[in-house]
Amino acid sequence: MSLSNEPFQLPEIVRTPSRFRNPIGKYRLHRTTACTACGRCVEICPYGVHIMKRGKVYIKNQYLCVGENCPRPCHEACPENALSLKRNPDFDALGDFRWPADLLVSTWYMAEFGTTPSLGLEYKVGSSGGGFDKLRILMKKKTPGFDDISDDDVDVGVVLNRRNDNAHRVRIEVPFYGGGMSYGSVSIATILSRIKAAAALGTFCCTGEGGYPDELKPYDDHVITQVATGLFGVREETIKRVKIVEFKYAQGAKPGLGGHLLGDKVTPGVARMREAVVGFPLFSPFPFHSVYSVEDHKKHVDWIKAINPQALVSVKVSTPTDVDMVAVGSYYAGAHIIHLDGSYGGTGAAPEIAKKNIAMPIEYAVPKVHRFLTEEGVRDKITVIASGGIRTPHDVVKIIALGADGVCTGTADLVALECIRCHNCESGRGCARGIATTDPDLMQLMEIEWGTQRIINLFIAWRKELIRILKRLGIKSLKELVGQTDCLVHLDYLKDRSTV
Amino acid sequence: MLKNQTITNIIQSRKSLVQDLPQRTLFETEAEGGCGVTGFACSIPVRGKHIFEPSKQMHNRGNGRGGGIAAMGFDHRMLGVSRDILQDDYILQIAILDKTVVHGLEDRFIKPFFRVDLSEEIPHIDDYRDIPSLDVRPPDVRRYFVRVKPDVLKSFIAENHLEGLSERQAEDEFVYQNSFLMNKTFYDAFGKQQAFVLSHGRNFFILKVVGYAEEVVRYYKLDDFKAHIWIAHQRYPTKGRVWHPAGAHPFIGMNEALVHNGDFANYHSVAEYLKQRNISTLFLTDTEVSALLFDLYIRTYRYPLEYVIEALAPTMERDFNQLPLEKQRIYRAIQSAHIHGSPDGPWFFIIARNDTENSRLQLIGITDTAMLRPQVFALHDGQVQVGLICSEQQAIDATLKSLSDEDPRIGTVADLYWNARGGSHTDGGAFIFNLDETDHDGFERSMTCVDKFGKEIHVPPNQTAYLPGRVYYIMGDEDKDRFHVSEFFELQRADLLYENMRDGIGKWDYADIMECLREIKKWALRGDAYFKVALDALTYLIDRRYPTYDKKRRSVLQMLNHTLETILRHLPSLEDEGEKGSYRLIDWESRQFFRGPGYQEKVLVVDASLFPPEGDHCDSRLIAEAYFRGWRRFIVFGLKGQRFHGCGLGPESGGVRIDVYGNAGDYLGSGIDGLSIYVHGNAQDQLGQIMKSGKMVIYGHTGQTFLYGAKGGEIYVMGNAAGRPLINAVGKPRVVINGTCLDYLAESFMAGDPLNGGGFVVLNGVSFHHDGQIIPQATPYPGSNLFSLASGGAIYVRDPHGLIDEEQLNGGEIVSLEAMDWDLIFPYLQENERLFGIVVEKDLLVVDGERKSPYNVYRKVKPKQAKEELEDGLEEWGE
Repeated sequence: MSLSNEPFQLPEIVRTPSRFRNPIGKYRLHRTTACTACGRCVEICPYGVHIMKRGKVYIKNQYLCVGENCPRPCHEACPENALSLKRNPDFDALGDFRWPADLLVSTWYMAEFGTTPSLGLEYKVGSSGGGFDKLRILMKKKTPGFDDISDDDVDVGVVLNRRNDNAHRVRIEVPFYGGGMSYGSVSIATILSRIKAAAALGTFCCTGEGGYPDELKPYDDHVITQVATGLFGVREETIKRVKIVEFKYAQGAKPGLGGHLLGDKVTPGVARMREAVVGFPLFSPFPFHSVYSVEDHKKHVDWIKAINPQALVSVKVSTPTDVDMVAVGSYYAGAHIIHLDGSYGGTGAAPEIAKKNIAMPIEYAVPKVHRFLTEEGVRDKITVIASGGIRTPHDVVKIIALGADGVCTGTADLVALECIRCHNCESGRGCARGIATTDPDLMQLMEIEWGTQRIINLFIAWRKELIRILKRLGIKSLKELVGQTDCLVHLDYLKDRSTV
Repeated sequence: MLKNQTITNIIQSRKSLVQDLPQRTLFETEAEGGCGVTGFACSIPVRGKHIFEPSKQMHNRGNGRGGGIAAMGFDHRMLGVSRDILQDDYILQIAILDKTVVHGLEDRFIKPFFRVDLSEEIPHIDDYRDIPSLDVRPPDVRRYFVRVKPDVLKSFIAENHLEGLSERQAEDEFVYQNSFLMNKTFYDAFGKQQAFVLSHGRNFFILKVVGYAEEVVRYYKLDDFKAHIWIAHQRYPTKGRVWHPAGAHPFIGMNEALVHNGDFANYHSVAEYLKQRNISTLFLTDTEVSALLFDLYIRTYRYPLEYVIEALAPTMERDFNQLPLEKQRIYRAIQSAHIHGSPDGPWFFIIARNDTENSRLQLIGITDTAMLRPQVFALHDGQVQVGLICSEQQAIDATLKSLSDEDPRIGTVADLYWNARGGSHTDGGAFIFNLDETDHDGFERSMTCVDKFGKEIHVPPNQTAYLPGRVYYIMGDEDKDRFHVSEFFELQRADLLYENMRDGIGKWDYADIMECLREIKKWALRGDAYFKVALDALTYLIDRRYPTYDKKRRSVLQMLNHTLETILRHLPSLEDEGEKGSYRLIDWESRQFFRGPGYQEKVLVVDASLFPPEGDHCDSRLIAEAYFRGWRRFIVFGLKGQRFHGCGLGPESGGVRIDVYGNAGDYLGSGIDGLSIYVHGNAQDQLGQIMKSGKMVIYGHTGQTFLYGAKGGEIYVMGNAAGRPLINAVGKPRVVINGTCLDYLAESFMAGDPLNGGGFVVLNGVSFHHDGQIIPQATPYPGSNLFSLASGGAIYVRDPHGLIDEEQLNGGEIVSLEAMDWDLIFPYLQENERLFGIVVEKDLLVVDGERKSPYNVYRKVKPKQAKEELEDGLEEWGE
């Protein structure tokens, strides 16, 4: 990750199945008593759905069934007609327009296998009817010479420090890092899984504003610590420990609303970390009380640099209409990274009305900022990170083509941990999957090793897919993609759909 | 009725000005953050170079993309006109960006309407590149002294039915409208930019550049140009590499120049409000809007200044209810009429105004209701009076220093420094320095300072100032040792030396004090042990409050500071190895010889005067580095607002002590974890943020957002903490504030249970009378919001008369003090007594001359129902 001599080694993919007994798939197979256990289905199924055990045939991995897309469908091949196929009603109850069931299930698949699902699942776009879901990447038919390039020769890393000042030279090996989720909003196992995965992938993960648990210490070089408006858990020590400090001015999911951790989630552990009172809600004010203008902001940045002169400063802002001014102002105040958080993101804890109505969609904000910084002549001196609703490697390509340098992920990580998007994150004991909880019992639902590997698998799959797309576009380095909007089309403005 | 008709007619007459303006569907505004603003008024005209220092001090509040100054109240001889012309004529000052338009402009807008008494191009240096930081050539400026021709004025009045106005008022209106037309014709923020009117009022002018404000002074050769009032502005626009000079502050209405620090949230709605009154903006900044608003209220509606301020910064909430009924009625009317024009968000205005009808010059500072921008006011009284308004105190002191270097009648310290409480019933959040004519020449004026309500600010009476130029004779033939300071040095008793001097000041004159300080200096240079006594005694004298009798405290302070700095500068430099003694001096020049402490070297003395305020080379960074090299004890002096002292030393810095003299800057001690830091004087904004542990002592007032997000530590403040102290503080900070706070004290305070290791604030609500007596403030806490949304901790208020009421609370409750509360806070009050001399038994527990029980003096504010819920929570969590 730093520019050391050792070449970076990608971690291994280890298959990591669901921690629950019946993972949700798209299809459901039914076996009648007419089955004679002839073993035909076990033999022909390419996905290992059926198994033979002690002379009996079982449906073991129903969730891997690709249904109608199957090249060798078992239900048609069954000599006894004992098998029938239908859609899984659980699947149809899952998800929402932004994260439809297909995306959730394909993300789970990637987290299990480390590769994109082969058939039957739409893993590229959601069905929100706008934003990334209306954009498509214009693939070239074939670029000569790109067939036999090895994956290792395609560079998807991002240099985060472009100011050439005293701060650390930092490069991330994949064009994404983990967005802030505080200790208190999610469990320590979730935080550790994300950070350990980030360390393995040569990237970073942000602590959020709930403090810097000691368990994270071994991964200091991969931690971004957040200085947010509540200043919870922010100490000089935590700022000195890390390579990147992030100022959170606003969240795209709820700009102008500050932060709010309901009393329910403030368990003794959380209260200890934040040095607050058990059971009382914790407010992060919506502004920094010490920052009401850009020169205050500069002072704020100078302060962090006074504490940790080598730290990179990232400024996380939402996307107001004058986001371009904000970006330029941040640059002049000394920021290394401007992190634009658009409106599609947010877990269940952000109010729906805020998520859907306040900030500017990220695909509008990024080109605006990119263009403005270019006109100002400072685009190559600052790193633009986009976040807020980045769900797939295709989203990554789209937003980079619109002008970002990299992205920040949040919900995707949680989905890799088998989040089902039930939107109960704000109540501490509401998380059915033991992810966004601080409840000591619910936290037991997940193990760190499992979570780490799931996230590693997901992002290796993303990386592979990214490289595949880049090769198709005839690009060897992700840097070349930045701002190449001609790689994209918008479905509403497309005449000839055949090219997509 | 007639009055209303006149107002309608004025507004109507402006209709033709704006109706053909291009309609822009969206008002484009320019992103601009806060800025640095400074202004001062002086009873004698002073040179432009004095605005130079404070402007430079606030470089870090601008980015060199726009600066401007306004000067008001001139000596007519410097302008080459007669006194009458200066008094009566409008100074029409026009920036020419495109030389070809000059003739056309004069033919169209000046010659037909005006009698021109003098027309000139104002001088500037030959080549703007001689000023290295100026990237863009400043505009050429033409100055015209004009009066409107009588026949022109007559027909203007007749056409627009302005008979209700006096001739002068109508003439003002004509000038105003003519300038608007000129701007409309020759300046388009989006298109051609050929010329624009800088200012058109009487006895003042404005100049602007794309650069820093002080470059205006240099470029236009104003170093030696004299005026009564100077204001300057450093701008921090974020748009464009080069932006139009007309966008820089100050902006004009008619006879006022306004600079602004902040940013309106409701620019569009205010612009719309103005548009309904036929006033359109041309320069796309909220400052222009502010100036136009001010002009609308004061000239069109003819409101008295108090009402203008009310219209801009309405009195709200509890403060409103505290106003007299009659005032409430008027204010209510103003608010209902003008609330849509009231700027919302953080802002702070400094206005130079020529109140032509009363032959009075004014310097006005107005802060917004929520007090979101930093602001400091200061008054210097004496033979020469100076009133100052700035964003930061060091800019005030830099101005005074600069003035004092030229005119010894001006001291380096002001008599009074204070913050305004925005939209309050106490001071209205605004102060006005009035300069009235005293003699016919108008070269010398007398100054008064009043708040929004007209209440005058007084300095202690009957005290004389020290005049360095004057010869002070030592009376009598006493021998050299007549002050007997030697015995204190031999006994090593700094405390006795302090007491001796403190008690001596009453009977001594300035010559004696000087002589005594000279003695002390002599002793101090004889070795470490003596130096220590001198340092401690001088520090006591600077820190403590005691009567200075017929002498001004500022003068005594000036002499003490001077002596202290001289002594400190005599210490051996760090570059000379092998010197004896444990003190080593480092300054900007010798910083390259920086090293860790040698044998016996204990104290690093940092002369900060030439260090930059922030960045890789600032002195606080040097201190952090020195700490890692082994230094543990620091004395910093000569500060001019340098920031971040005590930051960056990391955790477990216990045992480190930093003493800070001079104008300490923002963010001091933010993040400290273990060390002790002592500020000998007033401190600024954002102190002690996220402070974890350690000790902070402030011998003066402190600024905005004190201890934001603090986690712990022991903190003592001798004076007031401005707005929003202790917001979001958690853990166990233990704070004693002897003065009060403006508002929002301890919002979202979450510091556990104070009786079980949590945090608290003791708010004493007292102040020092100039005779050194401790007196209660009018109320221990004037703000409308105390302890809002707090879930933990407590505030112990010294409130023997029960002045704090439920209305000020939001989620808190007032309970009486119990024995364990008193046991908890008593040790902190004892330490407070040791530090500041505020005696628990004599000062704090005595009410109206009578010793009371602490349970009748202090009251406790704690979170409502905190207890039950806490127990609930614990039970449920099974811990």
